[in-house]
Amino acid sequence: MIDVKNLKKSFHGHCVLQGIDEKIEKGEKVVVIGPSGSGKSTFLRCLNRLEEPTSGEIWFDGVNIVDKKCDINKLRQKMGMVFQQFNLFAHLSVRENITLAPVKLGLMTQAEADQKAMQLLSRIGLAEKANSYPNQLSGGQQQRIAIVRALAMNPEVMLFDEPTSALDPEMVGEVLELMKQLASEGMTMVVVTHEMGFAREVGTRVLFMDGGQILEQNPPDVFFGNPQNPRLKDFLSKVL
Amino acid sequence: MAEFLQTHYYNLYVALIEADRWKQYLEGLGRTLLIAACATVMGILIGLVVAVIKVSAVNNRKLWPLEAICNLYLTVIRGTPVVVQLLILYTAVFTSMTNGTPVAIVGFGLNSGAYVAEIFRSGILSISRGQTEAGRSLGLTSWMTMRLIVLPQAIKNILPALFNEFITLLKETSVAGYIAVRDLTKVADGIKGRAFVGEPLFIAAVIYLVLVVGMTQIQKQLERRLAKGDRR
Repeated sequence: MIDVKNLKKSFHGHCVLQGIDEKIEKGEKVVVIGPSGSGKSTFLRCLNRLEEPTSGEIWFDGVNIVDKKCDINKLRQKMGMVFQQFNLFAHLSVRENITLAPVKLGLMTQAEADQKAMQLLSRIGLAEKANSYPNQLSGGQQQRIAIVRALAMNPEVMLFDEPTSALDPEMVGEVLELMKQLASEGMTMVVVTHEMGFAREVGTRVLFMDGGQILEQNPPDVFFGNPQNPRLKDFLSKVL
Repeated sequence: MAEFLQTHYYNLYVALIEADRWKQYLEGLGRTLLIAACATVMGILIGLVVAVIKVSAVNNRKLWPLEAICNLYLTVIRGTPVVVQLLILYTAVFTSMTNGTPVAIVGFGLNSGAYVAEIFRSGILSISRGQTEAGRSLGLTSWMTMRLIVLPQAIKNILPALFNEFITLLKETSVAGYIAVRDLTKVADGIKGRAFVGEPLFIAAVIYLVLVVGMTQIQKQLERRLAKGDRR
């Protein structure tokens, strides 16, 4: 589904990704972990070109999205993204946050989008917040709405960029719970996170990144149970 | 005391009623409002375009020629007095035009655009990058993201600065007399000269003051309406 070939990214001569090769199949839940500055967020943000790769190829649904001629906006409609800082549109109500893109992009009528929004909000138990504004909500509520906003586009893959890192500890659970639900429904997910429990429980594959490279990857039981790379061993000994 | 009041009452009569002079104030006021309103709209349009170009050029190097033009425009307009700009437009650019009003509209519009551009730019930069990224990640184009997400929030942040500029512009039109436009100030000054009383200038001042107070009220209303996402 996503095929990354020799992806490199440097910022002002500083090399952040040094040639990543990675294949993500439909239905996989790939969890990316690693220390800060290891390039994991940059890697994720390259997948929908929020970060412009310096070189390499990223094939998604048979299209090389690094190619300048591809319609990146069209492709992004199929790749939902959830941010560390939620990034709900502060001037719009919860319902408008969810319906804006599907309606303005001509994918749904306002009525259809409203119905979809209410359905998604009921599912996460926030239907009564439809007319609230983002800053009236807790971080956990905002992040769950951000997830739902991405889902309203019916994406084929969801990218999560440290979705729980900005949350109060007691709100982490509700967001992870929703992500687990999504995973169990078969959504393809790429998750950058520091939540080792989530990686172990939900991930079908865990990648360890450091210094702009993927140093080790395995299914979670092997990854956590029998790590090989010394850098990974060291990392796990500190975080587990 | 009675004498003092009587003198002023008489002077006001001369300044306003005699020879139907109040009609001249109204004409001047109309011209002032026309110039200010049209120049404000023009300034907003120019300012918006210049600000969006300057902000976009940061990430899109292909826009550098447009950015260079915008920078030249900002430097020249902000670096020279508005009266000089008006005189140049009137005497050297629109040479065939005898009516100064359209020239004044263009002059004040071009002038205000430069200041509005920087106000808009500061507003756009005040919105966190995450808002743009969220919009783009949903598949919205950069212009849709700007129009639907960034600008509505930016405008709320810049409303005070923007109204500051509108108020300045309204009062600045009082120099339109330099290019033979009979605006409110020019009319009042003319009546003062003919009637030999000082009151016309005070009358003009009161009219400007009322207009500005009215604009301030509009600003308050708008701020209240735009604050709906702010309440906790």
